[in-house]
Amino acid sequence: MTLSWELEAEAPIGRGVTAKRYRLGNGLGLIAAVDKRAPIVALQTWFRVGSRHERPGATGMAHLFEHLMFGQTESLPPGEFDRLVERTGGESNAATWVDWTYYKLSLPARDLELGVRLEAERMQHLVLETGPVESERDVVTNERRERVEDDVDGWLDEQLMAHAFTVHPYRWPTIGWMEDIRALALPEIRAFYRTWYAPNNATIVCVGDFDDEHLRDLIAQHYGHIPAAQLPAPAEQTEPVQAKERVIRAPKPIATDRLLVGYKAPGQDHPDWAALEIVSTLLAGCPSARLYRKLVIEQEAASSVDAQLTPFRDPSLLRLAVTTARGHGADEIVAAIDREIAGLVENPPPPSEVEKAKALAETDFWSALADVDGKAEALGHYETALGDFRRLSAIAERLTAVTAADLARAVRTYLVPAHRTIVIAEPENADEGEDGDDDGADE
Amino acid sequence: MKAIVEPSPDTPLVWFEVAIRGGASADPIGVEGLHRHTGLLARRGAARRQRAELDDTLDSLGAALDVSLSRDSLALSGLSLTRHMDEVIDLAADILAEPRFDDDEHARLLRETPQVLDEIRDDDSALATRWFDWLCSPGHPYGRTSLGTEASLARIGELGRDAARDLWRREVVADNLVIGLAGDVDEATAERLVARLVERLPKGARVPDPPEPRTPPPGRRTILVDKPDRTQAQLRIGHLASRYGHPDTAALAIAEAVFGGMFSSRLMQEIRVKRGWSYGAGCALRRSRLPHWFEIWTAAGIDVAGAAVALELELYADYAAKGPTDDEVDFARSYLVGAMPFHVATARQRMQLAVRDSLFDLPVGYTARLPELLGQLAATDVRAACTRHFHPANAVTVAVTTAEHARPALEAANAGPITVVRHDEY
Repeated sequence: MTLSWELEAEAPIGRGVTAKRYRLGNGLGLIAAVDKRAPIVALQTWFRVGSRHERPGATGMAHLFEHLMFGQTESLPPGEFDRLVERTGGESNAATWVDWTYYKLSLPARDLELGVRLEAERMQHLVLETGPVESERDVVTNERRERVEDDVDGWLDEQLMAHAFTVHPYRWPTIGWMEDIRALALPEIRAFYRTWYAPNNATIVCVGDFDDEHLRDLIAQHYGHIPAAQLPAPAEQTEPVQAKERVIRAPKPIATDRLLVGYKAPGQDHPDWAALEIVSTLLAGCPSARLYRKLVIEQEAASSVDAQLTPFRDPSLLRLAVTTARGHGADEIVAAIDREIAGLVENPPPPSEVEKAKALAETDFWSALADVDGKAEALGHYETALGDFRRLSAIAERLTAVTAADLARAVRTYLVPAHRTIVIAEPENADEGEDGDDDGADE
Repeated sequence: MKAIVEPSPDTPLVWFEVAIRGGASADPIGVEGLHRHTGLLARRGAARRQRAELDDTLDSLGAALDVSLSRDSLALSGLSLTRHMDEVIDLAADILAEPRFDDDEHARLLRETPQVLDEIRDDDSALATRWFDWLCSPGHPYGRTSLGTEASLARIGELGRDAARDLWRREVVADNLVIGLAGDVDEATAERLVARLVERLPKGARVPDPPEPRTPPPGRRTILVDKPDRTQAQLRIGHLASRYGHPDTAALAIAEAVFGGMFSSRLMQEIRVKRGWSYGAGCALRRSRLPHWFEIWTAAGIDVAGAAVALELELYADYAAKGPTDDEVDFARSYLVGAMPFHVATARQRMQLAVRDSLFDLPVGYTARLPELLGQLAATDVRAACTRHFHPANAVTVAVTTAEHARPALEAANAGPITVVRHDEY
C-alpha cells in the first residue's frame, strides 16, 4: 500500500528532523516529520478552506465547521469523538482563519491509528442534522459575543478588516457576522461540507514519534478509497489600491482610547513581506523598538503598542495596535506614528538595528519549532496558505537577507497614510458631541 | 539555592528561570503591588546599564528577559540563542545582583500601573477574576491584588524606591532562589551558568511563608460587577480549597477533570453541548503553595446568566454530595495519565514543572509521578475527597455584566445576597 504514495518534497525542519511531503492518488497530501524525542504525535488535518471561500450573507460558514466537525458521524454517536480522544489523554482542537481551517489532535504515540481513523471518518461521514447544527449555532453566537461584542479588541479587529477591504473576502470576520451565523441554512452547510472536505483539498501533517512507513500505510488504508472532489476554481479577487485614509470611530465602555491602524501590505510570499516584518519589529516588536520607546517610555502617551504583519496568502495589513494612556488621545498617537515612520525613511536604521531585528526573528523562528505541535502548525500553515511547506525556510532566509535599503523602500511603498485604515474606540462618556458609530470609511 | 537543569539539543535555544520565593502573597498589607513594582523596576536597568541600554543589548542578542509574578514567587525568565547565552546570563546576573532602581523609572512605573488597572477593567474576563480573588476568601494572602489598587500604589509612591531596594535585598539571596535552566546546553555548562547567576548574591535565608489563611465566612454571596452594554455575563463561582501537594491532590485532579477539566466533563456537556449557553464552561483548582481557590468559569449570554448560575450551583451541589461515578473516575484517570507525556515533552516544560514543585517544597518529580498516584486511587477515594474539599453551600459568585438586565435572574439563582459594584471601583 505504501507504494501508492509519491514523495514530492523533503526538507529539514529544526535540528535532526526532516519533513517529507507525499501525495496519495486521490490528491491527499501528507507531510510527515519523525521526531522521537517524546512519545507523542501531533496529527493535524489542514483544509484549504477558510473564511475567504465564503460568500457574503453566509459568512462564518468555515468557522462553523470548526465546531460541527466534532459532532456525530455515521459511525460515531454525538460526543464520541471527544470521548475517544480524551480517554487516551490526548486533546483535540481546531482553528479557522482566512486561508485555512485545521483540525488538531495531540495524541500519545500509541494512539496514532485511532487519530487517523477518526479524522478519516469525519472527513467523509459527518452527520449534519438540524439538532446539532442549531446547538453549535448557539455556541458560536456566544463565542462571538465573548470575542467581539463584549471585547473591544475583537471589535477593533473586525472593524479594521471590514473597512480596510472593500472587495476581497478578507473584509468579513472569520467568525462571521452575527446575522449571517443565525441565517446559515442546513442545505448550504451540507453543500459546503461536500465541496471542501475532500482529500484533494487537504494535507495531513504528522510530527512526532511514529514510523514513517507505518503512517503512510495507515493513511492509505483509511483515506485511499475516498474519491477526489471537484473543487471550485479559485475565485481570485483583487482588492483595489486604497487611495485615501479611512477613519472609523465609535464609543465603547473603556477607560482610554484604543486604536488599530492597518497599512495595506503584501501577501506573505511577496518579496517585500520580509522587509515589512523587520519594519514591524523595529516599530513595536521588542522593548527597544522605536514606536514603543517613543510612545510608552519617552512620551508616556500609550500604555501598550504592538505591531503585527498578518501572514495571509493575499495582500493584507501591517497592523499597529495602541492603547492610549490616561490624558492622551488617538489623534496624538496617529501623529506620533507618522513621525516615527517618517523617521525610518529620513534616518534609515543603522546596520546594527537591522541585525537586532534579524536576531529576534531567529529566536522567534526556533521558538515556534520547539515542540511537535509548533512544528506541525508551521508546516501546515506554509503548505496550505502558500502552497509549499518549504516556504517556512525560504521566508526565514529572506529575513536574513533584508538590508536597510530594503526597509526604506518598503516603508516608502507601504506605510503611507493614503493606504491605511484607522479604527478608534473611545470612552463612551468622553466628548459626548463627538462622532457616533461608524462615521468614516468614505474615500 | 536549588538548581534544576534539563539539557536538550532540540533547538539552538536556552531557557532559564530564576524564581524568587515570596511573590504577591508576601506584599505587606496596604502595599499590594510592591512585589510587582519591584520586579519590573529591577528589569529597568542594572549595573552600568540604564533601561534603554539594557533593552538595546538584549534585543541585539535576540534575547528576552522578562519578569513575571505569581502569588508564590517573582520570576526572572530568560530566552537566548545558544551562541549568546553567556552574555544573556551575565545581564540576568546584573539584574539579580545590581538592579539600579532608578528614580525616574520608579516614578514612571507608578504612573503606568494604574493604566494596567484600566486595561483589566476594560477586559470582562480579567475583571471577573480580579473580583473573584477579592471575594473568595477575605484576608487570605492570595485574595489581595497582586497589581495593587490606587491606594496601595500611592503608598508605594510614599515609601519610595527604597522599599523596592529593601525587598530585593531581603528576597534576592541565594538561599531564597530556585533556578531552572533548559535547552541547548550541557550539564557542566549549565552548572557554570547557574553559578554565574548567583555568584554576587549573599547566601541569605528563605523568606517565611505567609500566614495560613483564615476560614472564610460561611454561606453564599454574590458580587454583580455592573458594566454597561454587555451581551454576556462573565461568571466565576467557587471558594477556598486546598493547596497543591495536599495528600488529596491526585484524587482532586480526577474530581476536577470529571466536573470541568475536559471537553467531556459535566459542566461542558450541560452548559455548552446540551444548552448552547456559553462557548465554554469548566472548573479548575488553582495550583499554589497555600490553599487556593476552586473556581467554576463560564461566559453565558446575558439572557441566561441567572439560569447558568443556578444550574452550575445545582450541578456543583450534586457533584459535591455524590462525587463522580466509577466510570467517570476511570475515564478521567485514563485522560490524566495519558496526558502526562504532553506536559513533560520538552526540556523547557520539564524544567518549569520541576521549578514549581521545588517552590512548593514538593518531592523531586512530584508532578511527573502523579500518574502513579492516580493509578492507586479507588473511586471511593475520589468521592471522599469531593466531600472533604467541595463546599457548594459556601460558594461565592462573581458576575461581570449589565446589572439592569441581569440582576432579576441572578437574584433568583440561589447564589446568596447580591452586592452590586461599579466596574471601575476596584
